[in-house]
Amino acid sequence: MKDKIKRNQFITQLFLLLSIIGPGLITANIDNDAGGIATYSLAGAKTGYRLLWIILPITVALIIVQEMSARMGVVSGKGLADLIREKFGAKTTFYTIVFLLIADLGNTMAEFAGIASAGEIFGISKYISVPLSSVFVWLLVLKGDYKIVERVFLLGCTVYISYIVSGVIISPDWSQVSKSIFIPNISSINKSDLPIIVGLIGTSITPWMQFYIQSAIVEKDISVNNLWHTKVDVIFGCITMSLVTIFIIICCAATIHVNNGTITSAKDAAIALKPLAGDYASALFGIGLFNASIFSAALLPLATSYYVCEGMGWESGVDRTLKEAPNFFILFGILVIFSAIVILIPDIDLFNILVFSQIINGLLIPIILLFIINLCNDPDIMGEYTNGSVYNFFCYGIVAVMLTANLGLVYFYFIQ
Amino acid sequence: MSKINENLFFSEFIGRKIMHHNGNFISTVKDIFVDFEEVYPSAIALQFVKNGQYFYTEWSQIDQINPNYIKLVKNPNLGRSRTFPVLKKPQEKTVKSILSHQFKGETIEYPPIGKVILDKQIVDTFGKKVVRVNDLSLLKRNNEITITHASIGTRSLLRRIGLLGIVNFLNNLFFPNSTRLKNDTLISWQYVHAVPDKNLNKNVKLTLTDDEIKKLHPADIADIMEELDNNARTLLFKELDHELAAETLSEINQEYKKGIIRDEKPEDIAEILEFMGPDEAVDILNDFDTERANQIIQKISDKETKEDIIELLEYEEDSAGGLMSNEVFEITPNLKKLDILKIIQNEHDEIESIYDIYIVNSEKQLIGQCPLNKLLIQKENISIGEIMEKEDIKYLTPEVHWREVAEFMSKYNLINLPIIDKSNKELLGIVSVDDVLPWLLDER
Repeated sequence: MKDKIKRNQFITQLFLLLSIIGPGLITANIDNDAGGIATYSLAGAKTGYRLLWIILPITVALIIVQEMSARMGVVSGKGLADLIREKFGAKTTFYTIVFLLIADLGNTMAEFAGIASAGEIFGISKYISVPLSSVFVWLLVLKGDYKIVERVFLLGCTVYISYIVSGVIISPDWSQVSKSIFIPNISSINKSDLPIIVGLIGTSITPWMQFYIQSAIVEKDISVNNLWHTKVDVIFGCITMSLVTIFIIICCAATIHVNNGTITSAKDAAIALKPLAGDYASALFGIGLFNASIFSAALLPLATSYYVCEGMGWESGVDRTLKEAPNFFILFGILVIFSAIVILIPDIDLFNILVFSQIINGLLIPIILLFIINLCNDPDIMGEYTNGSVYNFFCYGIVAVMLTANLGLVYFYFIQ
Repeated sequence: MSKINENLFFSEFIGRKIMHHNGNFISTVKDIFVDFEEVYPSAIALQFVKNGQYFYTEWSQIDQINPNYIKLVKNPNLGRSRTFPVLKKPQEKTVKSILSHQFKGETIEYPPIGKVILDKQIVDTFGKKVVRVNDLSLLKRNNEITITHASIGTRSLLRRIGLLGIVNFLNNLFFPNSTRLKNDTLISWQYVHAVPDKNLNKNVKLTLTDDEIKKLHPADIADIMEELDNNARTLLFKELDHELAAETLSEINQEYKKGIIRDEKPEDIAEILEFMGPDEAVDILNDFDTERANQIIQKISDKETKEDIIELLEYEEDSAGGLMSNEVFEITPNLKKLDILKIIQNEHDEIESIYDIYIVNSEKQLIGQCPLNKLLIQKENISIGEIMEKEDIKYLTPEVHWREVAEFMSKYNLINLPIIDKSNKELLGIVSVDDVLPWLLDER
């Protein structure tokens, strides 16, 4: 009898967990967008297993950051831009948003670059794939059902499993791989690694993601009593993402780095899937890249428009008309159209745009993190759910490490 | 003090220097404590920060407020607290439920107004997002300061960001005649429910609650609704009963009308339209496509109203026929004064204007008119046919453009203008001066 009650409770809890899971997992997967795949591939191809150990601290940092955003969403019931505006005032909010907007413009460009690269794998000119995709993005956002968009996207993300399978088929020296993952190898870092490190941080912990996950959680209206379900969701999502990241790096290291190859285009990065798909590797990579790019190209400008309007106090929403929410639609329009046009410039280096946009993210994230930490310590907002002192220690540690990496990058590349 | 009343913005007041009586600098204004219980809260204390600690000084300690600095009296009392403790007065007046839990202790701890409302979202009573408060409008009378409005528009946002000067300059340079961004968008404080809650983080509420809103004049409700966002506008509108809804809808700016009732069910729209004058109902129907307009007309239950509306729909919106109302006070010439007054008593609800009485024959042709005041001074048993004016009745036909209607009415000083069918001279309806006014205002 007792057992039965226990089991019933367990089942109820499980269902509750499943109903709440989502925002964390989806956010983590959007994380592996075009810029992400490009950066991971490049990291594997250029440095082999050497930088693998960085993924572990990044994952921990990601979990901590996302957990704070998620907790704020659950406890305050407000979006991040909302809270920043209310606590730091109009001026700070405005200039922060301007910088974020520039970064997100870069990110949107990266998504369209991803679309163009994926098209080129199938021999489709970017002059066809990019305009078509931007029209598709418009229709998807304005006419489509957001929930369905999200599901199709998640389904498409299963392509990432192919990296894990490919990694297993390659069967690298697992003891060497695990040594590279778990034992930090700081002494081997050299100057040329810095852009990759900042890029890796920037693509994993992006500024706009924090706005996105918090809004998604506010939307779900999760009760404070179920806070731990949200934490499970976040942790699960982050670990999934890191697993994919690690395998992308392993695959690229084992196929490209060992042959002293370089990645100059998406076609080169596709070689990493050859052990699994053979001649179809390019196609598989193309599909994965396209899926990631096109959905992020839709979700990213949308999320950006939402949080900008939220912070500035403008009306927003896809169910509004152009006249009702002009700023919202103009923002979305500019982000999509401008990015698409830049990608269409002849002879522009697509792969460089992908990686460079992630570096801008990496430079910006410490600032957003400081906002998040400050808000998470405000009892007016968080009540009894503020950060503990140990937690804060780790948070500031993360910011310090990020700032060090950024300063290093700025020093070596812009000053020297 | 030369000026007695002066308007200023909260954002301009913050940061002003606070000085001792001898001119020694103390700190700058951080925030203001106000008496939240008043309809237009008056300032009761200043908040400032010195060496990272929060202080307040009561308003009575202020000697003078100048545009650049605030001077305190000699040996001012300064208190140290983030909040402003107010001793609890003996509670005699009834306190609204939303306030009551604030007054359980011996003292009330007031947070400063800026922390309570600045940058917060004002939500309507349903908890839906409305607008963000960018600034507060203050009224300064000698040394007293009262909060009068919450400022919500782009202009106030630009001022907060510090870009108003540049934008104003560019605006004047390129669009010298534009009225955009010249004035702040304000919500009167009487509609803002800024009662500090335990949880500061909560949204500020508009006081548009239950009964209060129903006591407002429809024109005031319309004003408030025009300042809300679409979502809030529709939600608020749904709360009104059909009659109040109809009156509010008549008052609200044309450009919002359609948005408000767009998603209502045809039955509901029909019921609201029944409470309106047929000419106003037609204005609204003209905004819908034919199919939906027909659906709505189908649902109108009152047969007469329905016919009136269908009749009016045939005319162009901007012609005399589109402007006119076909609820005319028309009677036959044989009626006596007493009968007419009785009719007015019984039917005044359904007649738009009784200032002019129109007399028609059996073919409904207009044969005379009589102003109500002329009738009132006559003997009781006189028939209207005897006193009516037969000659030189001013009228127009329904296809005339509204501009001509306006010119015609202005030329002959008419408050009401009868509209006559071109061929059979039948009286179709009247255009009142208030039907033409909105068109003139739009023209401007």
